[in-house]
Amino acid sequence: MNEYLEKIEKSLKPLPASERVDIVQEIKSEMLELQAAGKSEAEILQRLGDPRALAKAYLGDLIVKEKPLSWTRVLALCAYYSLAGLSGLIVIPTLGICAPVFLLCAVICPVVGALKLLDSVLNLGLPWMQQVGVFVLEGVELAPGVEFIACVLAGVLLGLAGWGCWKLLVLYIRGVSKVGTSLSC
Amino acid sequence: MGIEDWKSQIKRGTLEFCILLMIRRRPFYGYEIINALESYPILAAKENTIYPLLRRLQKEEYISSFWKDSAEGLPPRKYYSITDKGTEYLAAMSAEWENLLNAVNGMKGELHCGEELE
Repeated sequence: MNEYLEKIEKSLKPLPASERVDIVQEIKSEMLELQAAGKSEAEILQRLGDPRALAKAYLGDLIVKEKPLSWTRVLALCAYYSLAGLSGLIVIPTLGICAPVFLLCAVICPVVGALKLLDSVLNLGLPWMQQVGVFVLEGVELAPGVEFIACVLAGVLLGLAGWGCWKLLVLYIRGVSKVGTSLSC
Repeated sequence: MGIEDWKSQIKRGTLEFCILLMIRRRPFYGYEIINALESYPILAAKENTIYPLLRRLQKEEYISSFWKDSAEGLPPRKYYSITDKGTEYLAAMSAEWENLLNAVNGMKGELHCGEELE
């Protein structure tokens, strides 16, 4: 009977010592109980079955718990995070800078266009207005009214670009974290 | 899938419910639980099922255990009793069990109306 208990103890190696002792004690307790009830050693051992199978039943839960950390999963996680990290290194800063800059330009462009129009219509003589304008060729400038419309159009386009970048950034971050959690669960 | 497979599947899901029902009134020790289950063939389970199951229930804090000396000439026994969390769990299980029984009975009723059951 002691031999049986030793085999159990040996097969329970993956468990902490305190749990091992407790499990062996409990089985021993049942053995003695059966013995006191008049069962022979052979009957008792037959009832309990193969010691390794019994120990394995205790370890069953443990193996299931360890499953998520199998080799292929670790590799998949490594590959995924390397890829996500590498792409994030480029994608997140690019989009993160583009989105606000585009949006800022989208506001500035029509404002400056309006200023220029105001300047030329009211002859205010604001500073630097010669530098501001839509130049078709070297030194050839469009009429202020057309310039203003061009500026508003450019502002709208820039706004759309900025908004698109922002959406892409959100989508990218969401996608990365979603796949990440599904992989590590 | 034979009837034995089906029975073992049912047993797997039902055993922890039965164990909790058993120990809800007073603490039981492992061998006592196995013995009690043995009197119902559909529930009969061996040590290699019950002990690990008790361990899992304890890890999940549905039951707790303590060692207690028993009558002279007998070794100390490890008793299991239900925790508050286990009592809650048991109540939820009982409700689901009722749902299941009602559903099965409902199905049986429909069958009776539609066709003659041998």
